[in-house]
Amino acid sequence: MTTPVLDAYIESFSFHGETAPAVHGVGLAVQPGTLACVLGGAGSGKSTLGRLLAGWLRSADGQLRGRLSLSGDGVPNGAQRLDFAGTEDDPRISPAAWSRHVGYVSQDAAAMLSGIRSTVAEELAFGLENRGMNRDSMHRRVADVASKTGLSPLLDRDPGSLSGGELRRLAIACCVVTDPAVLILDDPLSSLDGEGAELIRDLIAGLVARGAAVVHLGQVAGLLFSQATHCMVLDGGTVTAQGTPADVLLSRGLAESGVVVPSEAVRHGRYRPEATAPEPVSGSAAASNKVSSGAGTGESSLSFRNVTYSLPAGQGAQRAVLTEVDLEVEPGQTVAITGPNGAGKSTLLRHVNGLLRPEHGEVLVAGLPIRGKSTGAIAADVGLLFQHPRDQLFERTLVREVGFGLDRLFGAEAEAHAVQALEDVGLAHVASAHPHDLPASGQRLLALATVLARQPAVIALDEPTVGLDRHGLARLQTALDTVTLRGAAVLIVTHDLAYARTVGHRVLRLQGGRLQDT
Amino acid sequence: MLSRLNPLTTLAASGAAIALTMAASNWPVSVAVAAAVLAAGTGAGVMRRVLAASAVILLPLWFSLLVLHGLFFPEGRIVLAGWGPARITVEGLAFALEMGTRTTACVLVLLLFSFVVNVADLVAMMTTRRIPPQFGYVLASTLTLAPAITDQLSRIRQAQEARGLVLGGSLLQRVAAARLQMVPLVLALIQEAAERAHALDARGFSSPGPRSTYREVADSRGQRTFRRAVLGLAAAAVILRLCASWFGVPVLPSLSAGNA
Repeated sequence: MTTPVLDAYIESFSFHGETAPAVHGVGLAVQPGTLACVLGGAGSGKSTLGRLLAGWLRSADGQLRGRLSLSGDGVPNGAQRLDFAGTEDDPRISPAAWSRHVGYVSQDAAAMLSGIRSTVAEELAFGLENRGMNRDSMHRRVADVASKTGLSPLLDRDPGSLSGGELRRLAIACCVVTDPAVLILDDPLSSLDGEGAELIRDLIAGLVARGAAVVHLGQVAGLLFSQATHCMVLDGGTVTAQGTPADVLLSRGLAESGVVVPSEAVRHGRYRPEATAPEPVSGSAAASNKVSSGAGTGESSLSFRNVTYSLPAGQGAQRAVLTEVDLEVEPGQTVAITGPNGAGKSTLLRHVNGLLRPEHGEVLVAGLPIRGKSTGAIAADVGLLFQHPRDQLFERTLVREVGFGLDRLFGAEAEAHAVQALEDVGLAHVASAHPHDLPASGQRLLALATVLARQPAVIALDEPTVGLDRHGLARLQTALDTVTLRGAAVLIVTHDLAYARTVGHRVLRLQGGRLQDT
Repeated sequence: MLSRLNPLTTLAASGAAIALTMAASNWPVSVAVAAAVLAAGTGAGVMRRVLAASAVILLPLWFSLLVLHGLFFPEGRIVLAGWGPARITVEGLAFALEMGTRTTACVLVLLLFSFVVNVADLVAMMTTRRIPPQFGYVLASTLTLAPAITDQLSRIRQAQEARGLVLGGSLLQRVAAARLQMVPLVLALIQEAAERAHALDARGFSSPGPRSTYREVADSRGQRTFRRAVLGLAAAAVILRLCASWFGVPVLPSLSAGNA
């Protein structure tokens, strides 16, 4: 057996101010040329584990007991072992030196970028510049990684203008481009369309074939999980199951965790559904969940009439994003819109509440044009879940976040509505916490609560499933059932065609600026 | 045109213009520099942005100069009007004019530079000249701070509007809305800075050793000559000014008796 390139044992890690450890009793040794998969639901500790392995958490963040060992080319003396006792004398990891061997991509792709590079190509080259690579080699390396991650057509674009899926591919590419021996990827396929996910899976397979060790942190037991050499399930910060993918699929640890198991595994008998808590939402098992009070009543809650919109494409040119789009969503109906990353799905959704205004055409809510009305006024009838929760959350506590603006709708009962919305998404027990302290899944559910609390007639959801574990998906499904039963019209945009087919009374595809039935 | 110049050329021209203005300390020179900036800004198509940003800085400045020096200038001898201790004097007005035009010229130069310089080119050139990357990052962050704050504020405003905040209306309503956005803005900027620091470290930004640049910045013999010429001119102006001060000879005639 070869020596592991990264060998870690986390006896315990606790964030300052927390009594319970976020991670404890977790050992992981990754060999060159292998793929390891660490699965866990929201708050299971997998992202904390990833940050520990990547040297991102320091003594200022919390107290670590355990060890981290690196070996291989370029490591001083061929191997380095760091022991942590949770004291001030513990060794300090140099993030720059550590990152030469261990690359990390966090769940929040935007947070991985330098923020001062004006093009995708330069952002990709940032890590290489810091290592002093000569310009010709840099250009070749950037072109190579861009082609493998589907970024070649985007090299001259401003990173700030990329869609969620494109941004994730860029974050992964920025890590891969420096060729570390170990890559830790937190939820690398989240928000990617089918083509993008396939590109990243191929990229990972290529890296493993060339001898890299890849650690995939995720909450879906999907294709990457099935290709892993070693798998582990985390729950409550510790290991509840591990072994080969087949072993883990049959384990109680997986069944009791928040990990999403795609329906294929259930159908093929590789998963014990009797051990699951709530029914998995994604996949065909949930197809019967299309609850509706009045789908097809003929009177639209939301209408797009001939809507056209374009964005600047540089040098005075315009890129058509929406072209003569027509759309009707009736009360109690759920319409799902899919399409590749960057197709303009979020742009379409931002027209629903007037954050964007059409160049031509008209948007109507409850039969009335919204032209001339402010977004704040339209918000009485329309709730919008933003693509990135961090764009939606701005308050200091969860209850303040959900309560924002409710007094105008419910007067003295505003706080009761806020608390009820938090209960509906399972976050009432942390109502006083700061939104940024929640895991990604919790942040998305909180953003959903801010929409649900207003009880709007039209609900527009941008990639609502991204980052949600099985329990979060169940909460989302229950919320959708409730709002459609009371007659709200729901418009969802998602990169996930399977999910769109599961929840949508009607599924449309946006491509080339036009909507088509799938 | 200006944005296509090597950033060191724009930087040298801006620095020289400021040095010249300060060394001359003479309102016609300051007005000439300001006029040159306006002409260059119009040519570069950024005049409206320069004027809007400069108005925010310069209008309060001019107001305070006129109130302080126009009404209360102890060295003032020629009184145009007086109300008790407040007196409008020729010397006070002249001093306010000198100070105001000089500051206006410098502010316009700096704003024009920040609007036309290609930040990526500037950082690349600094790396090429082996200036510490942290310095380049701070400079780039400073030059892009205003758009970064605007973007963040826009995100917060959109999130609040989507939850029923109606913007507009009376001044009082606008102030109330702005108050709702300030705390989230500051907290978001702090949070983003902390996250960014992690990402920069992880991408080797704090590594010691040589750096390279992906971006190739165009330069020319003509631009190098121009840079040497304007920097030489600026140095000469500063030396002349220092000599004149030491020997008590005015460089250029001044309007103000109190203006050293």
